[in-house]
Amino acid sequence: MGCRDIRETISAWVDGEASPEEAALVREHLASCERCGLLERQMRAVGAGVRQVRGSVPDRFREEVFALLESEGALPPRKMVFPAAWRWAAVPLAATAALGFFLLTLGDGIRERATLPTTTARMESPGTSAPLTTEDREMIALLDFLEDPADLDANDDTEGMELLVPGDSADSPNPARGIRSGA
Amino acid sequence: MLLFREGSREAFEELFSRHHRAVVRFAWRMTGDPSAAEEAAQEIFLRIARAAPTYLPTAKFTTWMYTVARRATLNYLRDTKEDWEKVPILSDGEGENGVYPVQLPGPGERNPEQVVWEAQLTERFRTALGELPEGHRAAFVLNRGDGLSYEEVAQVLGITVQAVKTRIFRAREMLLSRLSEDVSA
Repeated sequence: MGCRDIRETISAWVDGEASPEEAALVREHLASCERCGLLERQMRAVGAGVRQVRGSVPDRFREEVFALLESEGALPPRKMVFPAAWRWAAVPLAATAALGFFLLTLGDGIRERATLPTTTARMESPGTSAPLTTEDREMIALLDFLEDPADLDANDDTEGMELLVPGDSADSPNPARGIRSGA
Repeated sequence: MLLFREGSREAFEELFSRHHRAVVRFAWRMTGDPSAAEEAAQEIFLRIARAAPTYLPTAKFTTWMYTVARRATLNYLRDTKEDWEKVPILSDGEGENGVYPVQLPGPGERNPEQVVWEAQLTERFRTALGELPEGHRAAFVLNRGDGLSYEEVAQVLGITVQAVKTRIFRAREMLLSRLSEDVSA
């Protein structure tokens, strides 16, 4: 193969695109042809030269491209951040609402209890509004009597009872309240 | 690209981050002018975004991207009325016995004088590149500049691999001839 016929193959060989058979022919030719050897080096150099033409990316390029695409409607809209955040916020919001409802309910209960006026009312069964019978009133009166310590002090049934307390004596400055010693 | 086609803006932002430098470089090499390259690169990304709904992953994304890029720059060059057939393809044997009087630096040859000389040469090279017929320039730039194989260049340009081989060889010949004229002048 003569020089003119093999130059295109040398170009492909320089680019790594020659077949094994073509590569063998090129190597054989270059080994014996100084002129084509020089051309082969020039071909490599001119191939490397194109990579020196790089240009540069302007700083504003990205902003300009995205502004153009936005104006042309060629970009999907940017995803909103809030919907996802609200989805996750639902859990603590629901918990807060439940806690608030619980506290409000609890507050009503406390107020109801705070407004119960008398022992009589306290003895009424919750949720019932039936009037007290005579027997009920007698029992309540008896209970009120038993709850009053002064009434206990006045009760003569305790006369003569002894209070056995270790170390206690008749001179004790603080005898048990409501219980009179027989000494 | 498939994610972007499904409506993911973030996918396009990622795609842009990965490829915008290559797109600008390609546009720069094809147009030879910074402002023209920037304008063409914007047009390329607009075309990519618009073509997303019909994109099919039948080829490598970069091959498809360069197909879009080449068409965009080609239209840009036509719009700016570049006479991209004004440089005739050289006949065989141009240059004395296929050897050109230009001295080109090898990849490993770098010293201060060489760097200055390379800077001057780069400017001359850019001019010479811009004078190649568009089809030859595209083949040469895609292969030597962007690293596409002959097969991929053939897909981008819609020609055969043999035609790519011929165009790249012709591009080399024309560049060496043009640079030799500068040396002789």
